[in-house]
Amino acid sequence: MPSKSQSVGRASSRDRALLIGLVIVLATMVMFPFVWLLLMSFKTDADILSTTPKFIFTPTFDNYSALWQGNFPRSFLNSAIVSVTSTALAMVFGVPAAYALSRMSIRAERPLSLLILCSRMAPPIAFTIPYFLAYRYMGLTDTRTGLILIYLTFNLALVVWLMRSFFDSAPRSLEEAAWIDGATMMQTFLKVVLPMSGPGLAATAILCFLYSWNDFFFALILTRTGAQTAPVAVVNFMNYEGWEWGKIAAGGVLVMLPVLLFSIAVRKYLVRGMTAGAVKG
Amino acid sequence: MTIPATPNRRRPDSFLARRERFFWWLLLPTLAVLGVVTLLPMLYLFVTSFTPLNLTRPDTAWDFSDPFVNYRLIGEDRRLIDSMWVQVKLSFWSVLLQLAIGFGFALLLNIRSSVMTALRTLFLVPMVLPPIVVAIIWKVLYTPDISPFWWVFAQFGWDVPSLITDPNWALTAIIIADTWQWFPFTMLMILAALQMLPDEHLEAARLDGANAWQLTWYVILPFLRGVLVVAGLFRLIDSIKAFPLIYILTDGGPGSVTEVTNYYSFLQAFNFSYLGYSSAITVIMVAATVVLSWLVFRLVGWGQNAE
Repeated sequence: MPSKSQSVGRASSRDRALLIGLVIVLATMVMFPFVWLLLMSFKTDADILSTTPKFIFTPTFDNYSALWQGNFPRSFLNSAIVSVTSTALAMVFGVPAAYALSRMSIRAERPLSLLILCSRMAPPIAFTIPYFLAYRYMGLTDTRTGLILIYLTFNLALVVWLMRSFFDSAPRSLEEAAWIDGATMMQTFLKVVLPMSGPGLAATAILCFLYSWNDFFFALILTRTGAQTAPVAVVNFMNYEGWEWGKIAAGGVLVMLPVLLFSIAVRKYLVRGMTAGAVKG
Repeated sequence: MTIPATPNRRRPDSFLARRERFFWWLLLPTLAVLGVVTLLPMLYLFVTSFTPLNLTRPDTAWDFSDPFVNYRLIGEDRRLIDSMWVQVKLSFWSVLLQLAIGFGFALLLNIRSSVMTALRTLFLVPMVLPPIVVAIIWKVLYTPDISPFWWVFAQFGWDVPSLITDPNWALTAIIIADTWQWFPFTMLMILAALQMLPDEHLEAARLDGANAWQLTWYVILPFLRGVLVVAGLFRLIDSIKAFPLIYILTDGGPGSVTEVTNYYSFLQAFNFSYLGYSSAITVIMVAATVVLSWLVFRLVGWGQNAE
């Protein structure tokens, strides 16, 4: 392996090998709970409940096909529609606002970061109670629209904060050149600024999608059956139909699959997203 | 509303004015939406906290005859005070463990090699999993009938109680699961800071004959103080919102040993229908998070870099 010794670990190659060995052991321990659920989703009920835990077994897709035949695909679709729509809305409103904040002469740092931190840190129940009451009058309980709106409480602020820091670090010479060539403000924004910001836009959209997709609390309170999202559907396998461990595991795996794929794509920005409002990227 | 732009002699003023106006048009819709989706509900919550709103009795909705009834109740509610104490225990231990383990792992991983980079990505997994999946994973591991751990305990002949149904262990079980999920977050923040540690600091200490422990204690830890405080505060604020783990693993029980304030407020609102009282508790929680967020601000410096 390439050895470029650095800072603390200025160890000999034997120590290095030991250290890497230790980290691999620790990583295995940390990953074990996750792998166990993954294995469980491919087991029959007999294998799950077997008195000796089984690492080697004949995998079965029964749990997944049982999910496919029930209401789960519908919940999965709800999750996808709600997360994508809320992300799209937050981007449509938030990206232009972030650009404006980055280029305007007003200083909006403090009120903006305060607003974002508060919406990021307030316990979800603080939004759930008023939305729950309002939705009863507006007929938005148990609708996708209702969830899309409440997800804007965290998505919109996140988009504004993250995109502003991306725009801040983008060079301004190109847009100035476009203005001098006679392009309008709107043309410059749509045809020069946005195409330059591809990676930032992608990372921000993915983070918003992840936050919406992972939500459990809002969906638990504001939906019943019609707009039920996948995380709530998985939990219902625990409550109403007894303990269907196989289905619970398979549902859990399906819920985390898109999250894992997207998270690896944006791993550089994960902490930036989580500390948005306080720490500038 | 517009603050005049700094004078720029190369361009005509009308251009600057036009530009500023354009920016306001981009900004205003978002401000309006933010106001409607976040500020208005907050106001509604605050107003509701002054009513005895009970969903089973519609006439209580806008009843301001005794506005402070909920806040008086808060002082007398034994279960609420207990829930705050549970919160303190949960927050203290989980933040402490996450900082300690995150620091340890960051030190181990702070070596440049391709293997380590790959391993670092593996360690992210618990943190990015949907919270509900984390809760399911630990429900499986804590259920003796199907848990591989309890099989191991049985092989050794140990009689270990089921952690999540034992009043002495239920909170510990939650702390373990929460720590597993979130130590990667503190680890990542500490790793990022470690990579900024100037080599000269370490070099100088080594020349003075410092051993590894002294190096860690007198050079690395003081350098990381800032990031440790910020990471700890972030985890502290998040621990106040802990929900899926408690909901799935213990449902606040056994009894109310794992019932944190957030959970108690949820029960009051959506199990007992006392939305007015729950709003008052929530207002107090929001006030607490605002104070803590303000602390983060003071320590980080408004919107500046952590370092």
